[in-house]
Amino acid sequence: MANTLRLYLTCIRNTLEAAMCLQQNFPCQEVERHNKPEVELKTSPELLLNPVLICRNEAEKCLIETSINSLRISLKVKQADELENILTKKFLRFLSMRAEAFQVLRRKPVQGYDISFLITNYHCEEMQKQKLIDFIVQFMEDIDKEISELKMSVNTRGRLVATEFLKQFI
Amino acid sequence: MILLQSHSRFLLQTLLNRVQNLEKSVELDYHWVEFDDVRYHVQVSMKNPHILLLSVSLPTPPLETVFLGGLPFGAIEAIKSAYGVIVQILDPPRDGFNLTLKLNLSKLPPDEEYRHALLVKVASVREVVLGAPLRVILKYLASRTIAPDIDRLVALVHRPNESFFLLPQQAEKVTVVFPMRFKDSIDTVLATSFLQEFVESRRTAGLNNAPPCLWSHSPPLELKGATDDALSANAGFVTFGNITRLEFLFPFLVMLLILQTRLCVMNAVIFPRHVEGKKLDRTVWNLSTFHAYVNYHVKCSEGFMHTRMRRRVESLIQALNRAKPDQEKTKKAAHTRSFKRLSLKESRTNSNS
Repeated sequence: MANTLRLYLTCIRNTLEAAMCLQQNFPCQEVERHNKPEVELKTSPELLLNPVLICRNEAEKCLIETSINSLRISLKVKQADELENILTKKFLRFLSMRAEAFQVLRRKPVQGYDISFLITNYHCEEMQKQKLIDFIVQFMEDIDKEISELKMSVNTRGRLVATEFLKQFI
Repeated sequence: MILLQSHSRFLLQTLLNRVQNLEKSVELDYHWVEFDDVRYHVQVSMKNPHILLLSVSLPTPPLETVFLGGLPFGAIEAIKSAYGVIVQILDPPRDGFNLTLKLNLSKLPPDEEYRHALLVKVASVREVVLGAPLRVILKYLASRTIAPDIDRLVALVHRPNESFFLLPQQAEKVTVVFPMRFKDSIDTVLATSFLQEFVESRRTAGLNNAPPCLWSHSPPLELKGATDDALSANAGFVTFGNITRLEFLFPFLVMLLILQTRLCVMNAVIFPRHVEGKKLDRTVWNLSTFHAYVNYHVKCSEGFMHTRMRRRVESLIQALNRAKPDQEKTKKAAHTRSFKRLSLKESRTNSNS
């Protein structure tokens, strides 16, 4: 299991390395003196590249969309049961609400995904590319780890609560 | 604090304070609210410093619950037997409250320990009043007899407009059914996983004697059977009281079915060994606050999750900051000091000096 995760992450890392090749400062073609992430606007098809979809399984996938000056990464995190679903939703909402602090995080995920990043040429200018990729990969690992730990803690607490309550009757 | 305490901490503090400074005449007028919408009011006047008026307001009973004169059945007897001479029940109670007690603090026993125990008992007035009907039924169970004039299905209020059900008509056991409703979808999911743990942990070795628990999404057969029974038994003898009871039971059951997705039912069977002697008080308290107990722990684990998530966000932001080259440089600058390489000889002289 851990092995497939590593392969999945390596694949994402390699794709990101290839994709994060953004042109410095590309002015908007439609509006004068504007400079916008083209992957979000999708105004001219010649500026977009083919999106890449990396799937580990049906529930876990990663969509990487690239354009001339920006890059969008959307993640879908696995949710095995209702509890995991709730925990993931809660945790990712918590992160999206703090998108200001993570400059590269998108406030809303792309439809069909749980969380999205938007990396523009400005981010690439002020951060090291390799470290940025490291961050994204670490982010994915951390989400998985955090959710499984949260689930475990809920179950442990549930067990303790139940045991203590039932002990009262003995 | 894993278990909920039966006494109201603030009320106990107030009482102890008052008893210690009984000569000092003060004016007290406190209002406060506790979980499940139980409200308290304490009043002491300057004129009679040893008289304390304690008013309690109970959660609004749902239609299927029977309240006699604003109190659950057996409450007045329970108050009298628990408090004896120091308490007098005022009738009618204060406006907006279900019960007003007049405490005469000068009649408290002089023995320190006994007095403290009695004050704790006064502070857990909620347990005494709300748990009174449950106590009556469980007492019958302890003596292994069936209460003579009791319905097949008893509804007891435990939250505003919500009740749990008792099936007391068995000599050897009483079944308690809790409809568990939660407002929030996250709460529902967390509570569901907690309730599953109740069923699971009952199976572990140490808890063999605990009451068996069942948990299901649909209302248990006991509840359905009870209403069917009530229907057939009452069909021929329509009296006013019975009609109203039936009418009220019905929409509630339908509601139960509609609410299924948001509702799980907890089902515990209480045997005589759970209500013997001193255990009775504990059992009464635990059963009547079961929902609050689960809810409390659901909220606690949500709080815990938030602290964890906050910590995780911090560590992720740190990871992102590592990507910024400026910070890297300043960090490095702090680390790189100009070293003066010492030769072997010099270092020796340094350490000697």
